[in-house]
Amino acid sequence: MSDTAEEVTRAELRHGLRIATLLVAMAVVFGLGLAQLLRYMDRYETPLTQWIAFAALGAVLAGEATLLGLGRSWGRLRGPAIAIVLGASALSYVTLPDGRTSTGVDWIFGAANWVGIVVLLDRPLRTAAAFLVAHELTALLHLLLLDDPSRADLARFSTGSVTVVGFPLCVAVVAAVMRGLSAAAATSRREIERVRLAEAVAAESHGRRQQRLAELSATTIPLLEGLADGSLRPEDPVVQRRCAIEAARMRRLFAEADDVADPLLHELRHCIDVADRKGVVVELDTRGQWPEPPVAVRRDLTEAVLIVLATTVSRARVTVMGEAGLVSVSVVADCAETGMPSPAAPGVQVEALTNDDMVWMEARWQPTSRSPR
Amino acid sequence: MAADEPITAVIVDDHAAIAAGVHFWCSQAVPPIDLIDAGDRLADVWTGPGALADVVIFDLELVPRRPDFGELRRLVDSGRRVIVYSQHTDDATAIKCIDLGALAYLTKREGPDHLVPAIRAGARGEPYTAPSLSGALIADDDPGRPRLSQRETEVLRAWFVSSSKDLVAAKLNITVKTVDTYITRVRVKYANVGRAARTKSELVGRALDDGLITLAELNRTVTSL
Repeated sequence: MSDTAEEVTRAELRHGLRIATLLVAMAVVFGLGLAQLLRYMDRYETPLTQWIAFAALGAVLAGEATLLGLGRSWGRLRGPAIAIVLGASALSYVTLPDGRTSTGVDWIFGAANWVGIVVLLDRPLRTAAAFLVAHELTALLHLLLLDDPSRADLARFSTGSVTVVGFPLCVAVVAAVMRGLSAAAATSRREIERVRLAEAVAAESHGRRQQRLAELSATTIPLLEGLADGSLRPEDPVVQRRCAIEAARMRRLFAEADDVADPLLHELRHCIDVADRKGVVVELDTRGQWPEPPVAVRRDLTEAVLIVLATTVSRARVTVMGEAGLVSVSVVADCAETGMPSPAAPGVQVEALTNDDMVWMEARWQPTSRSPR
Repeated sequence: MAADEPITAVIVDDHAAIAAGVHFWCSQAVPPIDLIDAGDRLADVWTGPGALADVVIFDLELVPRRPDFGELRRLVDSGRRVIVYSQHTDDATAIKCIDLGALAYLTKREGPDHLVPAIRAGARGEPYTAPSLSGALIADDDPGRPRLSQRETEVLRAWFVSSSKDLVAAKLNITVKTVDTYITRVRVKYANVGRAARTKSELVGRALDDGLITLAELNRTVTSL
């Protein structure tokens, strides 16, 4: 079952429990409660206060029915609703004939508890329990203070309390268990998602590291091995040039993983930085806009700059131009004769021009000529 | 100005180091250029020795982030030959300056290689197009811009990219003189559109006299909307 389906099922269960509890409360108040009230009408000192208490409970149940219809919970009205229920209970007890606690005349003893549970069904169990205790205490106070309870009265009160507190408490426990299950399921689902994500990230970065290693192994590793076993001499200008190129390639490789607005310019700056550190003055100037080239194209575009800058003596000018359907990266520098890069990505062309001691190399990429992926 | 008299220029720039640097470049130039330092006092450009200088080197932002286009316009309108020297590198500012009638627009990253030729060209009333301005002209997509030929665009582009006329000439298989001609033609086309200024009409008039461009070509350059 999918997560959303589970969630829907749980929401339906909670909704069903709410309806069932409301129906029970209505049956208790409008059925049993009303019947007792009518039957013992002549026993009450002031029947009006009993009717007011009854109307208050009825109003709270009507409120619950309305909220249920609207699909909303009590929210900020919950406190006032509970106050009304407890107030009605107190009002009823104050005008109850003496010695009648938890008898047929005491209709509210078995009615207000259900109304309170209806209001507190989606609250933590302790809140519902606290309400039931408050309700129970109201009745007990009446019994102890206004009556002179006999052993029989106390026994009657105790047996009455079992149903008055016990049944609503059972409903509250069921609601709490259902909420707990929902929360536990949601927590475990989040945990599963977190673990899955962590696994995916780990797999992805492992793959990327392996790919980087593979990319470096073709050019960097032979160089390092040569330096290590002494077959390549660090003072050899060719070796120095290879080192400069590999250093720039590694910088570029690391820069490729960065999340930046313009990766081409970002990687180019990293390539330039390697030359900058050797004391070469490099100007970088750009004009126009360009789309984000794929990584293979960016490597081909920056490779010319990287190769030329590796042997630049004193200064270089690097420019990027974006025109309609063309991105061009160009480098002009005073450098020794260099090798030509061989672009691998489709749509990339490299041109080189040497004039006296100046080298001008330009890599162009035409995105439109690229075969669709 | 007699042919054997040295060129005089006045610089107005609030940074003493810039003025000192430009002074050094001018004294090292062959033949040397006389530079008058007006500091940040615009009045010294209008009165005293500064008023007689052949060329005005004008810092566009004497007040930071407040480019003083008004003063540039007043200088141009009174017939002064102005080189705008700015730390700004945005294309719109550069194009606005040449539209107002400045003969050159240079960014402060462009050193003596461009400033000294720009002063010499300015003294003759001729424009100088530095690589940064060249880049601005290619990237210009204003609907009112003049229409450039493919060759002119190629030359501007190569000049912006390489910053060396020798390389442009080698790349396009033309002479350095031809490179200059194409660049000047672009400036003449720009001088022919937009706001009227004496420096601009002189530029167009001289180009027509020299046969650098024909009236028919010039009339064709205005982009129809």
